[in-house]
Amino acid sequence: MFTQIVKYSPKFLLVVLIFPVLGGLISVLLQALGWAPALEQYNVGLHGFNALMHTPGLSQMVVLSITTGLVSTLFALMMTLMILAAFFNSVWLNRIQRLLGPLLVIPHAAAAIAVGFLIAPSGMLSRLVSPWLSGWDLAPQGMFPHDAYGISIIIGLTLKELPFLLLMALGALAQPEFGKKLHQQHKVALNLGYCSLTAFFKVTLPSLYPLLRLPVLSVLAYASASVEMPLILGPNTPPTLAVAIMHWFNDVDLALRTKASAAALLQLALTGGLVVLWLAGEKVIKRLFCDFLTNGKREYGGVFWQKIIVVLTTLAASFIFVALIGLVMWSFAGFWRFPAVMPEQFVWSHYQLALIQISNPLINTLAIGIVTTVCAVILTLLCLESEQLNAKPLSRFTYLIIYLPLLIPGISFLFGLVWLQQLINSKTVFFNVILSHLLFVLPYVFLSLTSSYRRLEPRFSHVAASLGASPCKVFFQVKLPQLFAPILIAVALGLAISFGQYLPTLLSSGGRITTITTEAVALANGASRRTSAVYAVLQMVLPLIGFILAWVLPKYFFKSARL
Amino acid sequence: MQSSLQIKNLQLFRQNEQLLSVNEQVVGGDILTIMGPSGSGKSSLLNWITGTLASSFKASGEIWLDGINIDKTPTHLRHIGVLYQDALLFSHLSVEGNIAFAMPKGNKKERIEKIEHALEQVGLKGLKDRHPDNLSGGQQARVALLRMLLSEPKAILLDEPFSKLDTQLRVDIRQLVFDQIRDHKLPAIMVTHDHSDAEAAKGKVITLDLIR
Repeated sequence: MFTQIVKYSPKFLLVVLIFPVLGGLISVLLQALGWAPALEQYNVGLHGFNALMHTPGLSQMVVLSITTGLVSTLFALMMTLMILAAFFNSVWLNRIQRLLGPLLVIPHAAAAIAVGFLIAPSGMLSRLVSPWLSGWDLAPQGMFPHDAYGISIIIGLTLKELPFLLLMALGALAQPEFGKKLHQQHKVALNLGYCSLTAFFKVTLPSLYPLLRLPVLSVLAYASASVEMPLILGPNTPPTLAVAIMHWFNDVDLALRTKASAAALLQLALTGGLVVLWLAGEKVIKRLFCDFLTNGKREYGGVFWQKIIVVLTTLAASFIFVALIGLVMWSFAGFWRFPAVMPEQFVWSHYQLALIQISNPLINTLAIGIVTTVCAVILTLLCLESEQLNAKPLSRFTYLIIYLPLLIPGISFLFGLVWLQQLINSKTVFFNVILSHLLFVLPYVFLSLTSSYRRLEPRFSHVAASLGASPCKVFFQVKLPQLFAPILIAVALGLAISFGQYLPTLLSSGGRITTITTEAVALANGASRRTSAVYAVLQMVLPLIGFILAWVLPKYFFKSARL
Repeated sequence: MQSSLQIKNLQLFRQNEQLLSVNEQVVGGDILTIMGPSGSGKSSLLNWITGTLASSFKASGEIWLDGINIDKTPTHLRHIGVLYQDALLFSHLSVEGNIAFAMPKGNKKERIEKIEHALEQVGLKGLKDRHPDNLSGGQQARVALLRMLLSEPKAILLDEPFSKLDTQLRVDIRQLVFDQIRDHKLPAIMVTHDHSDAEAAKGKVITLDLIR
């Protein structure tokens, strides 16, 4: 029985992932071609695409999506590499990791709200320089956020993705064999006379980058198609393509749906094009710098660059922390006049007010998060167990499918998926929301559990089996207890991802289920700063509690086990 | 002037516990052998000489290379070549790339000729375009040796460089390395726990004890 379940779990996983993504894409395609039985439209044709092409400002939308996606990914990657290069052999790398780690749990919407508060005309940055430097006694006219060039979006995305990429790189370097080899090779390069920065770029990076490729591509795909960041920080006339698509889909004029579906396909092509462009860029850079690697030059102004990097890193870190402190202060702020750096008094009333309205979204957030995460963790564990029982790794195809939801823009298939969901089951929206969340939670849970599962000492299982334990007993009584801590981390991560989902919640529930995140985004552009600060803070606190529990519980349990 | 590597009054500590004290001078072409059980601080001694001592260790003493004090010199400017237990060839570069990486910059054609000549000398003719992962252990060790020598070091450290090779190969590679050290008249320090290495080096041998 148990071995049967385990055996079929990878196939079940594929169905759970392929069916919604592929089904969603197909139904978006059908709608784009004008075939929408729900709207009683059956005249198939290209009128959706025609309408899209004649939309004023379409090219601006596309350009905005491309530039914000590409530039923010480039910036985040460059900063990541510079920090790694400058601090590769220094104790500071661990300190930066510890400092940035907790930032990972901040959902995009909360990060966007915090960055908005930072760069707004009356935001923390202009308060810090007023009036002593700027001479401003009143908040100036400013273009941030919502600037037409998408600079605010780029700042937001870069600051949000930098910690993610950096931690992915440090995670790769923490793999025992691989990390040791890279550190030793770096040392060899130092002994051969290379300065530390040059050694990193000529020796370490070529080996490290292949492990960074998937995270970088997922950042690129996300950045080019995200909705929360441009919605909160971006311009409105016109917005990015993804935001425009969302508006069209939600428009009361149902005729806009055909155009929106066509635009969703355009978004898919845009993101796919960016990914291809990026991969081509990698090839070109590899070709161009082939000779550079072995030309024997050991120093490229390393001391100068080292200083620049220290300054830039400090600047980015202080941006992030000023933004967060500003956010927390707004959530408690009483009266707060412009150039003052601190509010005149701190009050609880915004929280008290929010708590009255928040119980429903809070329960929804927790219920969806817990059910989704439990499903994701169980499915992942079963798949990894099947890998060990079959003594062969999952196929490359399975991997590709698991990471698919990270690379295909949600906005391109979610509308189709929602349409399918309503066709099959429009009664229990709760179930639909969970299925959509699962698509985005699974890849992260899978990523986070894989390496610990594979590192399990196989001899424990062999000993148990030789004592007559069934595979089922080995799984529950030998393997799972050893994985207690990694499973808790995966649960915390899954919860954090689920808590932060905006588009899947909004669409799959047809707006009928509100969560902290949907409320935060809805409030970000309308309500008072104080209210939206409260929601953003709650958005950050929830996942943080999860991670703190995941960190504390194992210590508590193992301590009692020892006594 | 004869080249020399001198360790003056080195005392090495791990968390206030003294591991070793060394006061030695090696001249060009000589090989000083340091023996001792694992945990006696042999590798940390080499890390101190190259300037990569981990922060959990403390050291006092001076290191002089060719009459210049290099205590404060950053690792990459010390011109000290190291051979490790593993060949540690760069897997993103070919055999030729690995060696070219180590050579000083210069005329591309001359560098390639020099690499080909060096490969021929150690019996690796025609392997320059091979990927290091496709070489045998002995071939990898030879490429690592060439890479180190062509970087034109002023002194050489050997960190148990033969311990992963099987017996016959070990004798051959050891002979090759020692011959090259004597030909280039470079001072060398070798740490090992193999007595045959120490005998073959024909130099002074220091044995470290675990200090409790």
